[in-house]
Amino acid sequence: MVVKGIKSSKKPMMGWVCTYTPLELIYAAGFQPYRIFGHSNPVKNADSYIHPNYCQFVKSTIDVAVEDGYNFLEGVTFVNSCDAMRRLHDVWKEYVPTKFIYILDIPMGYSSLGLKYIRTEFEKFKIALENYTSNVIQEEVLEDAIDVFIESRSLFHSVNTLRFKNPPLIIGSEIMEITSEFFKSDPKIWNEQIKEKLTISGRNTTRSDIINKPRLILSGSPIHDVNFISFIEDCGFNVVYEDLCTGSKFFDIKINKSNDLLSVLGEAYLNRVPCARMMKIKDRAKNILNISKKYDANGIIHHSLKFCDTYLYDVPRLKELLIEKDLNVLFLESDGSLGSLNQLKTRIEAFLEIIKSQMR
Amino acid sequence: MVDYTLLKQYFFQLEDALKHKIALKLTPRRKFIYEIARIGIRIFDKNWSNGWTTVFVPYEILNSMNVSGMFVEFFGAMLSGAGLSRKYFELAESKGYSTDSCSYHRTIIGAAMDGLIPEPDVLIGASIPCNGGVKALKRIGEIFNKDVFILNIPIEVTSKSIDYLVDQYQQMIDYIEENTGRKLDYHKLKQSIKFNNQAREYLVEVNNLCKNVPSPSISNDLKNFIMYILLLGTKEGVEVAKNYRDEFQYRIDNKFFGLPEEKYRLLWIQNRIQFKTDLINTLEDRFGANVVIDELNHIWWDELDESDPLRSLAYRMMTHPLVGPVERRLKVLTQLAKEYRVNGAINPAHWGCRQSGGARVLFKEALQKVGVPLIHLDVDCVDERNYSHGQILTRLEAFMEMLTASNF
Repeated sequence: MVVKGIKSSKKPMMGWVCTYTPLELIYAAGFQPYRIFGHSNPVKNADSYIHPNYCQFVKSTIDVAVEDGYNFLEGVTFVNSCDAMRRLHDVWKEYVPTKFIYILDIPMGYSSLGLKYIRTEFEKFKIALENYTSNVIQEEVLEDAIDVFIESRSLFHSVNTLRFKNPPLIIGSEIMEITSEFFKSDPKIWNEQIKEKLTISGRNTTRSDIINKPRLILSGSPIHDVNFISFIEDCGFNVVYEDLCTGSKFFDIKINKSNDLLSVLGEAYLNRVPCARMMKIKDRAKNILNISKKYDANGIIHHSLKFCDTYLYDVPRLKELLIEKDLNVLFLESDGSLGSLNQLKTRIEAFLEIIKSQMR
Repeated sequence: MVDYTLLKQYFFQLEDALKHKIALKLTPRRKFIYEIARIGIRIFDKNWSNGWTTVFVPYEILNSMNVSGMFVEFFGAMLSGAGLSRKYFELAESKGYSTDSCSYHRTIIGAAMDGLIPEPDVLIGASIPCNGGVKALKRIGEIFNKDVFILNIPIEVTSKSIDYLVDQYQQMIDYIEENTGRKLDYHKLKQSIKFNNQAREYLVEVNNLCKNVPSPSISNDLKNFIMYILLLGTKEGVEVAKNYRDEFQYRIDNKFFGLPEEKYRLLWIQNRIQFKTDLINTLEDRFGANVVIDELNHIWWDELDESDPLRSLAYRMMTHPLVGPVERRLKVLTQLAKEYRVNGAINPAHWGCRQSGGARVLFKEALQKVGVPLIHLDVDCVDERNYSHGQILTRLEAFMEMLTASNF
């Protein structure tokens, strides 16, 4: 069910880097949102712009950006997500000529004050977009944009339900291809193509290579490269859910519509399934437990990018919280480059053996 | 029952030693450290509640509620300075904390695990200067089964964002009241704003005096002066600031300079190296180089409004140079470089400091634009296990020789 070759619209593109970015506002302002990922190869130039002890995402993004790899973007929207992302914004602003650069200030944690604040932040962002495009974002246009993304999420969930079955009717690497396409497509076009694919029903799992494989949830720092998922699947798992802001979790956001659309968006984004930067480790653990049950998972791999404080500081406590619930968890750390994967292989295979022995 | 003997002894002995030294001769540095030791002792005083915090929280409010605030990085520095941190690193690392994380935070997590620090009544973490600090505080809170009150410091100053922080301060006061039973003494808070303003005036004078060439201070007179934030808004804080002002004025009036043969004037970015090294002595003795200003000693805020303490404190916090994008910080660094007429700048580039490391190239370029060369030492300021003295010394020597050759 791989959706390939999605055509982008002719709209100018707005880069974004964090899942707390309100894509609906960007879309309503006439841009096609484009998710920036960097690359998964050894870093070449970034160390000349930033300290080497930054995560692969930040360094590889700088790598691509300073070599004009993102010069098709009209603008970029950053989020005050973590210390590293703030510095990514600063380096980009200094070294990558870009017409529109914005940084959103999203509070950590949930609170009524935070809700009020995020609304004012979204309002400021809306005004900045309007000033840049010289076009006012009309209410109905924003509402339409919200509807487009609601449909995208709903369609994604329809696809994701194919993973409930055992063996899953769609494998993790296929899902990652679909999500990757979403991140660089016009959502309306993506929606149409997914709908078309979904109508081709009656998908059967005839692939012998995925039968009897343990079911796995992948959690942790952002991973964007489908080869990472393929690698884990090649080790002997079926990845049935990505608790990643670059995977299934990205689509787990609930919109409760009301008259004040900015509040609607503010509430939805602030209350979305939390990333580690929200400082809600118990909620993260609870969510992992819930999806583990929902997707009938046999184990969890939590992967932290090297130098990603946001996730690494969670590891010791998260380990306790998940083990308390009798979940099988493997904690891995790597620089996120594809070259580092083979170093993880032995540990993943040992984990697989433990899980298989429990399944016998 | 956890025994905090080591910590208790440390602060009591420090206070006692300084008391005797002050009796022999009062110096501003002695007075400063003496007052910090007294704050350490407060941890064991039943008349005070304990608050573990990240570095930039409004201590004036905490003090006005009889809550003794103590920032966790202080402890990281203290344990490193006393040569005691290794045990705590190893403990934290054995539980899975990454050796790439900030060692200020890793030490205190290990210390909390080991029962070195008393149970906090409240924990307050601010989103500046770093998110790593809040994460570390969260982990410390979990050791004591307590949650952390998080202050989100807005990155842009608008009337709405100031309102947001003021409202958070109000909620923080409620949180403290709920967890300690102590009420905010509004009169005391107003008084602390008054003290703050008095101290601020002295500190601005202190810094202005250090702009004199040669400077009345030597590199270590104001070392780790960031600890002074614990004294802000107190009578003792005013006394310390006045002592420094008087001393530096006296030195200038009597041509008794910090480094009489001052050849080079240096700006130190962010924190000093906390464990014992002779780098500063080398700079002073061999090269006649004097650290005349530490970035974190800059007084960035204007006089506070006594009639509106919470708003004033919120505004001060939001305008801190380390808040948000780096532009504000670069502006301050170049301003300091010019005003203090420095010849060079040293950035230890503390390993694990994600908020600062990412800006290292920007620091260098910004300072180059005003003709000031910068060296990154690439050192872990707290964890000396990987410290290679010879290597760092060689780099520093090369930097100083470059300054000499360039006639800076």
